[in-house]
Amino acid sequence: MALNAISYLLPEGLDLGGLKKILAESNHFSEDAPVTVKQTYYDSFDWRIWQAGGELVHGLDQPNQLCWMDRKKFSVVVCQGVDSTPGFADDIPDGPLADRLTAVLAMRVLLPKVNIIQKKHTLRILDSEEKTVVRVVLEKNRYTAVRGKQKGELEGRVVLKPLKGYEDQFFKFKQQLAALKLRPAEQSLYEDALVGIGQKPGDYSSKLNYRLDPDAPADATARQIMIGLLNTLEANISGTKANLDSEFLHDLRVATRRTRSAMSQIKGVFDPQQLEPFKQGFGWIGKVTGETRDLDVYLLHYPDFRAGLPKVIQDDLDPFHTFLQQHHKKAQAELVKKINSPHFRKTLKAWRSWLQSSPTKSGHAPNASRATAQLADQRISKLYKRVLKNGLAIGPDSPAEQLHDLRKQCKKLRYLMEFFQSLYPKPAIREPIKALKIILDNLGEFQDLEVQAQSLEDFGDQMLKEGAPASSLMAMGILVGQLLEKQVQAREAFVELFAGFSNESNRQAFRKLFGGA
Amino acid sequence: MHIIGVYNIKGGVGKTATAVNLAYLAARQGYRTLIWDLDPQAAATFYFRIQPKVKGSKNKLIAGKVDLDKVVKATDFENLDMLPADFSYRNMDLRLEVAKKPTKQLLSLLRPLSHSYDYVFLDCPPSISLVSENIFRAAEGLLLPMIPTTLSLRTYKQLLDFLEGHRITGLEIMPFFSMVDRRKRMHLDVMESLQASSGELLKAQIPYASDVEKMGIHRMPVEAFAPRSFAASAYQALWMDVQERLR
Repeated sequence: MALNAISYLLPEGLDLGGLKKILAESNHFSEDAPVTVKQTYYDSFDWRIWQAGGELVHGLDQPNQLCWMDRKKFSVVVCQGVDSTPGFADDIPDGPLADRLTAVLAMRVLLPKVNIIQKKHTLRILDSEEKTVVRVVLEKNRYTAVRGKQKGELEGRVVLKPLKGYEDQFFKFKQQLAALKLRPAEQSLYEDALVGIGQKPGDYSSKLNYRLDPDAPADATARQIMIGLLNTLEANISGTKANLDSEFLHDLRVATRRTRSAMSQIKGVFDPQQLEPFKQGFGWIGKVTGETRDLDVYLLHYPDFRAGLPKVIQDDLDPFHTFLQQHHKKAQAELVKKINSPHFRKTLKAWRSWLQSSPTKSGHAPNASRATAQLADQRISKLYKRVLKNGLAIGPDSPAEQLHDLRKQCKKLRYLMEFFQSLYPKPAIREPIKALKIILDNLGEFQDLEVQAQSLEDFGDQMLKEGAPASSLMAMGILVGQLLEKQVQAREAFVELFAGFSNESNRQAFRKLFGGA
Repeated sequence: MHIIGVYNIKGGVGKTATAVNLAYLAARQGYRTLIWDLDPQAAATFYFRIQPKVKGSKNKLIAGKVDLDKVVKATDFENLDMLPADFSYRNMDLRLEVAKKPTKQLLSLLRPLSHSYDYVFLDCPPSISLVSENIFRAAEGLLLPMIPTTLSLRTYKQLLDFLEGHRITGLEIMPFFSMVDRRKRMHLDVMESLQASSGELLKAQIPYASDVEKMGIHRMPVEAFAPRSFAASAYQALWMDVQERLR
């Protein structure tokens, strides 16, 4: 088994210089000249590398090296040379690290999280042939924030590095360090540096994860949920404006949609009159962010669109890509204007201060002081009943509209279950959410494919006016055909999927959790 | 994993120096590199200050009962590991003869390491034997250091005949001139005649230089103790040629 390096912290009263003196008494070693290196740690905005158990560092031993470290073992898993600052996984030259990053990051861009300036002084412990058998690196570390002025010293570290084939010497030296009361560091240098700049890894996630009090009054709970959503929305504003990657806007829109859903579905907890301007405000945000997101989706799908065409005409689709990029640029500029507008800012500001104000008693909010758990049960079971009824009413000849309506209801039901999931036993609530997700994926596919086929035709019209070659339009025509064909398949799959969703055991599971039905 | 053999039927042509220096350069580029000293004289092992001893090499190695990964030793240089030589390698031929698929043993021994290393350099013993045939069948490229003398040309042709006779194809043959002494008329003449006739010849040449000999004193690659020397840049040029050829 390969041994891992061990990182130690010094005991009280001993510094790196002092340690070196003590080691010199009982060991034969040679010293490398001290070197100073700058390391930058990277992750996506939502900490995907961290969540996958890794740390990604640029400049670990060599300036252009990007390394994935195992964050529990503090060991290097895989390194790769890179020509430029890390960004999207696709831009990293092919190799095992690129493969790993593609799988973990998907469409998310790497962002620098923190810098570490490391002065390292390597002692090489030698045997009688003057061969190095263990390396001991004395590290002085400082951190600096990527943006802003935060910086500071970190505790000195001693890193014991094993050499393959010299395990006995490594263990002997380990004992020596233990006798000097050095203690293995419990967290990595990266974690230390993040603490320094006041960041917590994993502090952002788009997933809903509320801890709710079942007995709290429903209006307080609703505010708690909505403040969480507002935080998510605001966290994504600067990334959306800078268009760092498409996921910022996506998360911003999901938070908007969930807010609107919470307003309408956690019923009777607020005075509708007070809520009305905010409903309109969030409706507006949804509307003005829509076009850029649509174009993002086409750009994300583009490689698949292209690959789905026969090889000989794949190049014909390229003008469509240029068209998408140009329109995306325009839409993005428009979007930034909207986000910077007073209306956008005021809407969010007013919403936050309203959410934080103490609830005013109102005769128009009959559920305001009901227990959260009670209202959650009632709303979820009611919506579930409606979904069941409408879903079962859909036959092979039902119009598409009926499926679209069902999708909306399913989404609302899903959001409600996710908002309130902490009120229910964890494994039990996961099942119905999963079952619902299968239906939602199917309905989503059915509607998205239709919208995409329609949009492609519209884009084709526009491209024709802009002088696109006929070959491109024909390639797009083939694409439209493929999309519609897949849509038919999604439609055919629905009845069976919904039969699964509405079967007796699932119904029982719902009844048991939420009552009613 | 690229496997590169460094070989010549003749001894004393700069084989080990080539394997050691190129392996070092590959490792310094960030490639995970292994050098296997197959020569019982153990010169490469000596250069890296490692004990020429491999546990179990006498009976178990060729029988496939030794996990190569367990006998690998780290050198003093990042990314560069070594499989040291062992005196028992002098009898490797006898052991190969009784093994199953005697000409492909080396390849199957190396296969499990394919995820651990980007480059493997084989420092081969001189002579044509079962060991060398194993190397030819395992390697992707074969580096042939040649002193520019008429005798070297003869041994080069012998090798080509051997490869053809044994139907060893797909091996990238990379002869280059080694221990070149530009003061010697014969060296210049031989190089000129071969340069015109052989398209396989690598452009880089390794000079006859005292820095190469000093590797035995410093016990490390030239680049590590004389990075600005003529010899060091010659090995860099050679390594660039090799990478180009194997691309």
